[in-house]
Amino acid sequence: MKHLVTIFLLFGGFTGLLNAQTDPVTALDDVYLTPFKIQDSAYTVTATVLKDSVLKRNQASLTNLLTFNTPIYFKENGLGMVSSPSFRGTTASQTAVLWNGININSQTTGQTDFNTINTRGYNKIEVKPGGSVVDGSGAIGGSIHLENELNYNKGFSNQLFMNYGEFNTYGVDYRTTYSSENLSVMLGVARNGSDNDYPFPERERKNVNGQYQNTNVAFAAGSKLNLKNKLNFYANVYDGRRNFSVPTPNALKTKYTDFNTRALVEWESIWGSFASNLKVASTTEEYNYFANIDSDFFTFGTVESVIAKYSLDYSISKKMLLSAGGNFTRNSGEGSDISSETRNLAAALLGFKHFISKSFLYEITLRQETNENYGNPLLYSAGISAEVTDFYQLKLNTSKNFRIPTFNDLYWTGLGNPDLKPETSYQGEVSNKFHINNASLLVTGYYNTVTDLLRYIPGNDGIFRPKNTNEVEIYGIESVLSANKDFGKHKLNATATYAYTVSENKETGNQLTYVPFHKFTASVGYGVGNFSAYYQHLQNGKVYTSTDNSEENILNSYMTANLGAEYSFGKRKRYMLGVQALNLWNAAYQSALNRPMPGRNFNFYINLIF
Amino acid sequence: MFKPYLLLLLISIFTVSCNSDDDALPQEELPPAGAYANGMFILNEGGFGNSNASVSFVGENGELSNSIFTEVNNRNLGDVAQSMGFFEDNAYIVVNNSSTVEVVDRYTFEEIATITEMVSSPRYIAFSGNKGFITNWGDPTNANDDFVAVLNLETNLVEAQIPVGEGPEKLLVENGKIYVAHKGGYGFGNAITVIDVASQSVNGTITVADVPDGMVADNGKLYVLCAGKPAYTEDETLGGIYKIDLASQTVESTIDFPETQHPGFLEMENGMLYYTLNNEIFTVNSNSFVLNTTPIFTTEEAGVQVLYGFNVNDGKIYIADAKDYSSNGQAFVFSLQGILQNTFNVGVIPRAFYFENE
Repeated sequence: MKHLVTIFLLFGGFTGLLNAQTDPVTALDDVYLTPFKIQDSAYTVTATVLKDSVLKRNQASLTNLLTFNTPIYFKENGLGMVSSPSFRGTTASQTAVLWNGININSQTTGQTDFNTINTRGYNKIEVKPGGSVVDGSGAIGGSIHLENELNYNKGFSNQLFMNYGEFNTYGVDYRTTYSSENLSVMLGVARNGSDNDYPFPERERKNVNGQYQNTNVAFAAGSKLNLKNKLNFYANVYDGRRNFSVPTPNALKTKYTDFNTRALVEWESIWGSFASNLKVASTTEEYNYFANIDSDFFTFGTVESVIAKYSLDYSISKKMLLSAGGNFTRNSGEGSDISSETRNLAAALLGFKHFISKSFLYEITLRQETNENYGNPLLYSAGISAEVTDFYQLKLNTSKNFRIPTFNDLYWTGLGNPDLKPETSYQGEVSNKFHINNASLLVTGYYNTVTDLLRYIPGNDGIFRPKNTNEVEIYGIESVLSANKDFGKHKLNATATYAYTVSENKETGNQLTYVPFHKFTASVGYGVGNFSAYYQHLQNGKVYTSTDNSEENILNSYMTANLGAEYSFGKRKRYMLGVQALNLWNAAYQSALNRPMPGRNFNFYINLIF
Repeated sequence: MFKPYLLLLLISIFTVSCNSDDDALPQEELPPAGAYANGMFILNEGGFGNSNASVSFVGENGELSNSIFTEVNNRNLGDVAQSMGFFEDNAYIVVNNSSTVEVVDRYTFEEIATITEMVSSPRYIAFSGNKGFITNWGDPTNANDDFVAVLNLETNLVEAQIPVGEGPEKLLVENGKIYVAHKGGYGFGNAITVIDVASQSVNGTITVADVPDGMVADNGKLYVLCAGKPAYTEDETLGGIYKIDLASQTVESTIDFPETQHPGFLEMENGMLYYTLNNEIFTVNSNSFVLNTTPIFTTEEAGVQVLYGFNVNDGKIYIADAKDYSSNGQAFVFSLQGILQNTFNVGVIPRAFYFENE
């Protein structure tokens, strides 16, 4: 918090010039080529972008958004509780989450709890499957980018979104933006909460002690200092409190609080053939865990980080881009079971992109880590993209990626192991993209082998300690279909994803736990005049919950669906009233063992733009 | 499909028939009837937070049935089953992380009652007269709220709590006294609390080495095996076996283990004490009371990965293997000389064996 205030004061009053922000990836079905951005696999893998309109139609948690719109599987300990991803068959800490380009995975656990990310704070969320050298440690299964995109010349605008539903579930999201030619400012405040005491479908019980509330404050500002320089500032504060729902009715009640702050200054400048980008960020994360809700005793962990990223792009010609960069990260952590520790990490990056012709390009990025403890690994990614015909594009990409051990792994008193090696991944993918007028289909096949997987292994004393263990071999197919068509006044759009995932522990030959072989999502939207409606469907294959893949411990396949309708009124359709039926078919399902999710429930929302 | 009214019906039918049996026939003439009458129970604690604790049963013919509680009662047993106890026709299953004690008919496994009041993180149960005594950690992070609950076996209600020190674990009843080993819960204990059954109050403490685990009472003596504090505490202490004279409640002699050795469990068969060290099985003669440096056998050869449960009964040694604490576990049966006789594929994290003669 202290950092935030300081930086806020320092950069609170700047003004200047602006120019349009460019993005290598704008939407699911159009990836176009733009230089001046260090992105290792910007052109040879395909990302999915979820924009504001999609974000509003989903519930506020990042878990819910991604469950229904991507192939990522989430193990959620009951609605709103701890939620961990499996992206392309990888483990919970092998998905990197980046906030405006800064990695925000917890330094204590290595993971992001996707129920502690409130999507209302961002106007763009990009889902990038596969490894990434630039995204750094943890980007093995894929990465999720949370972004505050700044617009210019839009004037003053306010948006108020409110939802209310069963179990006293509420959300309020107020966002105000102002932008002139040279200045853009956005402030968003979102608060969500729920009693979350839903009855379990087909059971006699209801969810006990599952209530949660959280507040997210997001701030972003950009200023064009002159034609060549742009300064951006981003800040985010998240304050969340959850009671953890009890696994069985009479169990001791617990609660958990999160408090995270992030602040980032970014300086972009362009001169001649050079483009430079400097980011300096400060983040803090803190959790308090109360093993007994009625007691003042708690355990905690806290990490403060400083991250600096620099990149310099040089356009050798219109068709060749050379990039060089450096990253520095300093983490200082302590906790109830971690004595104060600090670690410094540095890396150098070098990239080259070459458009051999209009329809063919290749790109290479190298990343040299400079940390002896981790063997100074050299990471790389390389890919090609070819527009084979006007309706078919082929992309190939291969990369080596890693994940370094966490503070808990290394320093947990008496149990941590300072000699751990990073997990290492070698992967390759082939994407085929077909597009016709109103539709596109992306089919990606991938292969990934992860060695030195970090796991907690019990010793003879029954104590679990972290070790580099098995090798995991992962392969699968991901496909994304999107289509839209207008019939006169009637507008239809549809998207669907399907993933087939094999994630095999090479030692045992068994599928990793909580990785479904099959996952299918679909959503269909329909609009006419002031009215629109949408239907979201999820079909999830069975998952194993035990490492021996025993059938007694499986979670059965399930399907669930949401239905929503929205009516816009006002002269410019800027007031919207919507209703949603969640879990429309009242399916009894769980994504974590013995943690039932809610049955059918209703909510409504109002969205006002003024 | 779960049909609560059917269950109610079952319970009432059972209760009625049970009562009438009690009235009609003296206890000892009643031949045990029911699917689970003659054999061995294996308690599987299940994964922490996964609510998949279960009970396996091996019949006289060696036939294995898994998940018998769920099979009979059509619901989950709960989260982390810690131990079982037997009194007359009932079995009591202590479910730690659910803070419940399930009371079932030991022969049919049909549910009789679920004890939820005045128990909190319960661990072990023992019986004296018409009372059950249950060790409880309370809030495990609080060292000052631990207690022994006094259960009325007729009403299945807890009628008193006897406050004790942190981390009361195994307990046994001998000669009107309850001996409670303070393994220490989240901390590390080094005491045996002595509770007088008649007055239901603490009337003494016997200090032993750190982390008392197994206890056996025999011929006026109490044997206590202490594991010692492990290395990761950065305050490692020696393990030991204590021989305590029950009449005077004083330590009569002790055996110290070498540094870095942290033994577990304690069982007795024909005057020999049995314990485990890592994956090996050792004995100590209770009379000569001298440490044996060679194991009878090592269970690794039979494929035991993590020795998590141990018992010696009727000339056989029983080992529960928790494997990686995620997979289904295994139960191994050995002769007293360490010859493997049988294995059973049981539930997740098997931790204890209970026999018909208990």
